[in-house]
Amino acid sequence: MSENILKFSMNRCTSVERLDDNTLRSVCRLRDTFTCASVEILARLPDLEIIEARAQFHHEWLEPPDVDNILLKLPGVRIGAGMLKIIKGLVGEEEESRQISYMVEECCQAIIISLTRDILVQAPTSEEGKLEFFSKMVRDNIRLYNRCAAFAAGSRLVEGTEPPG
Amino acid sequence: MLTFARNKLVSVAVKDRDRLSIHAILDDDIYGLEMDLDVGIENREILAIAGKWNRWTTPECSRAMPFLQEMKGDRIDEGIGDRINKVLGRRGCRHFANLLTECCHAATEAARVIRWENAKAARPDLSFRSFLKEEARGENNGSETGASEKSASTLRPSLPRVETVCGGREPAGPGGHGGEGRTEGFVIDLHAHSFPASSCSSASVDELIEEARRIGLSGICLTDHNHVWTSGQVEALRQKHRFPVFRGNEITTNQGDMLVFGLEKDIKGIITLEELRSEVVEAGGFMIAAHPFRGFLTFSTVQLGLTPEIAAQRPLFQLVDGVEVLNGKVTEKENGFSSSVAETLRLPATGGSDAHQASEVGRYATRFFVEVHTEAELIRALKSKEYVPVAFRARKRPVKLPEISLRGACER
Repeated sequence: MSENILKFSMNRCTSVERLDDNTLRSVCRLRDTFTCASVEILARLPDLEIIEARAQFHHEWLEPPDVDNILLKLPGVRIGAGMLKIIKGLVGEEEESRQISYMVEECCQAIIISLTRDILVQAPTSEEGKLEFFSKMVRDNIRLYNRCAAFAAGSRLVEGTEPPG
Repeated sequence: MLTFARNKLVSVAVKDRDRLSIHAILDDDIYGLEMDLDVGIENREILAIAGKWNRWTTPECSRAMPFLQEMKGDRIDEGIGDRINKVLGRRGCRHFANLLTECCHAATEAARVIRWENAKAARPDLSFRSFLKEEARGENNGSETGASEKSASTLRPSLPRVETVCGGREPAGPGGHGGEGRTEGFVIDLHAHSFPASSCSSASVDELIEEARRIGLSGICLTDHNHVWTSGQVEALRQKHRFPVFRGNEITTNQGDMLVFGLEKDIKGIITLEELRSEVVEAGGFMIAAHPFRGFLTFSTVQLGLTPEIAAQRPLFQLVDGVEVLNGKVTEKENGFSSSVAETLRLPATGGSDAHQASEVGRYATRFFVEVHTEAELIRALKSKEYVPVAFRARKRPVKLPEISLRGACER
């Protein structure tokens, strides 16, 4: 075998930009050994509702899904808790649709994380300041408790915070 | 101008005759991480895994690293995505889980390329498309066709469902309602999930009912996800426990989850809210928007510019009969916000625990002012709007109830 020569490579870029005061655009672009695809969604603030979605999809051997028809189902879906089940259900789980579904989810996750970024820039730089900042974050939004190792029992960030339930 | 960008790069090479070497990078405005993976070519077992943080957020993010090792020995098959999310995403770090998911997909695709190269060694003119067709027909020895064709199922992301902080304004509104502990009237927990009807629940239906009786509820309503209990089953449970048991259904629509009552139809998959509304109206049932703002207040309402008045304009509220304003699985702020919206719209408000384990039963419930013993009586009572949501079960710490005059809402 030809050592050191790649057998597969993937590059996925997802970005978010604010088009105006009430509209966010998220775009996920994928290029891998077999696939060239992009998904774009527009989301409206303040309720983070998808108002438009479009996609392009080319794959080496998979038949292209009817992306226009599939994505017509997305407007009205809210980006937030429970969205993955809805997106998966609407876009479908056939092999041809899975990548599109995943890319829609990536777009939505990017919007959520982009809003998080606005919060995180306010975090202090000192260790003590960070501990307090993130501890308060869990206290204020108890759903974060146990969401990851940093917010699980035993972490300094949840000391003194009562678990939900 | 971009406000956020995430770049992911995954490269797969052959390490030796038996294993693939995968290197992956995730880099975005917040996180920077890398992952190296060895995967068996034949059986696609994760043989080695290592991760590295370059940039992170909290001082405790490093606690995620040991969970990477729990994926060692796992095999990349159709269920790997779910296992990554459960083991690494929920317990470790969802961003590492996201990157591992990409690695697993890449490993599967690389294995496909290697199988083609191997087949081509004996047949130099074998094109990739021809190879795939033959593999689909099972003509290539040891191709593991089925598993490889399903590889894309690993493409389910780890879920940053909730990234961060809530804040901003408190729900506004005068008055108060409900109260902890036992209350007067006929109190029913209108939202509970049992296993196995709801795979996400860990409580059997018997455990839920016994707990409801033990804590003094007047009744409990089974609202399993897209699951229809037959009237015979529910009657048998009533007889068995000598306790009022009702049936509903929590149905996922394109606009979120809805609690429906009086609908016999077994609905599978995602339905549009408009379609569900038609079904419920035709059946003479009742539909409640379940936890309508779950996760909405993850971000500051100020940041999003969200007010109850704006939120009340969401089209879904034109299609529901009521709003669940006390739900045991959302934050107090989110419940409070739901209350404000229900009041703005003058829609009836209900409470339900959304219990997924017995100890959660009755955290919130709905107090009716009439006795309710049958399904028909329940629907009639819901349509009467004569009820209030209540915090029924004593919590470990004081609960701040949404500030809203719910009595006013149900008196209209």
